Amino acid sequence: MNFPRLMVSFLVSITLFAQVSWAQVASTEALFAHAATPTAKEKLSALTAREDVAAKFVEMGVNPELIQQRIAAMSEEEALLVSHDIDTLPAGADAGMSLLGAVVFVFIVLLVTDLLGLTKVFNFTKPIVNK
Amino acid sequence: MSACAPKNPLPKDIDTPSSQLLVPFIAPRSELCASSSIEMLALYWHSKTSFTPALTLGELDERTLIPAKGGTLQIELIAAARADGLIAYPLRGGFESLTRELFVGHPLIVLVNRSFAWYPLWHYATLTGYNAQTQHFMTHFAKSPDELLSYSTFTAIWERSEKWGVILLPPGELPLTLEAEEIVRSIYEFESVGKIEGAIVSYETAYLRWPKDTNLLFALANAYYKTQQLQKAETIYKDILSINPAHALARNNLADLLCSMGRSYEALNIIEEATSKEAQTQSILNATHQEILQGCKKRVD
Repeated sequence: MNFPRLMVSFLVSITLFAQVSWAQVASTEALFAHAATPTAKEKLSALTAREDVAAKFVEMGVNPELIQQRIAAMSEEEALLVSHDIDTLPAGADAGMSLLGAVVFVFIVLLVTDLLGLTKVFNFTKPIVNK
Repeated sequence: MSACAPKNPLPKDIDTPSSQLLVPFIAPRSELCASSSIEMLALYWHSKTSFTPALTLGELDERTLIPAKGGTLQIELIAAARADGLIAYPLRGGFESLTRELFVGHPLIVLVNRSFAWYPLWHYATLTGYNAQTQHFMTHFAKSPDELLSYSTFTAIWERSEKWGVILLPPGELPLTLEAEEIVRSIYEFESVGKIEGAIVSYETAYLRWPKDTNLLFALANAYYKTQQLQKAETIYKDILSINPAHALARNNLADLLCSMGRSYEALNIIEEATSKEAQTQSILNATHQEILQGCKKRVD
């Protein structure tokens, strides 16, 4: 847990240092900067976004050796989005439904529709609405 | 980095009603359809151009899977593709852009929900072709290579991901369906993860398409400057100022460049005309001005 956090802090500090020596040159980044100046809170959340993502990744079982690399490959904006929304963002997979899964699924759907009085599939159900 | 030379990217008008690209197929292997999709496109570009993938399939797998989510985030698909050496461009313009990109030989990755919003089954599919007469897409879909998917089914499952798609291209190839601003942005994101050589090839290709776009020129000049191609950087910064003399950022960087080459008199002439209403830009201009007045000592090599 501590190892990746430390590494990410290290990476972040290297990045900041690199920007200091380039201070007089306006970066291409300036083209994409939002018109409004970010608030102090937004700046802080951008700085900790990568650490937050690292912590989430550890929780979610990502190989710890690769966490720094994976986060370093995200832009600042992307890291911020992941740190906020990782729980709700879609994760694409092969994700076809298995036959067993489908059988269970259909069973539950029909059970619910039985209980709602929309179907009468099973002998053991009685609708729970409007007698 | 691959040695792709920039070439004129302007395409012919699209009349052809179908297109089928020979994209190598890799089975998605359960939770790993994102890395499989990247690998398919990497192999496609490897077969078409001098592009060589930087990562193996195993490395892509390790960089994309989040075990607890049983799949891959869109952002991580994009980040892994960049690490593999491909530039990721967002798909804009919906359905029509899919066929236009396929027509010019650009396969795409789309996110679809194979089920409904209340029971989502997310999947990354690779589009490999289309046939406007039969109204089908060809897709590497899950375990089926080049499966035919009708426009209507495809549209239904694609709309559930808010029509998300990404075009992965090697340096020197540009998407057909994006404007300069988003192209510059995508290339810059590639540049900023340490891929500046490839980024320059793509900026140069974009320059052939948009020779007067000052944002693009600014990005290109900065990349030249960062890689110590000082003469080229100087020329492009001056091009920007001939198009828009009030371009404060270009003026600043040109002055800084001249200063670093020891041409402080020229640098001073350039910076003295520069002003900006934005506080942040003005403070950079002031700092550069100050440095030049001090004789550019710090940066003379």
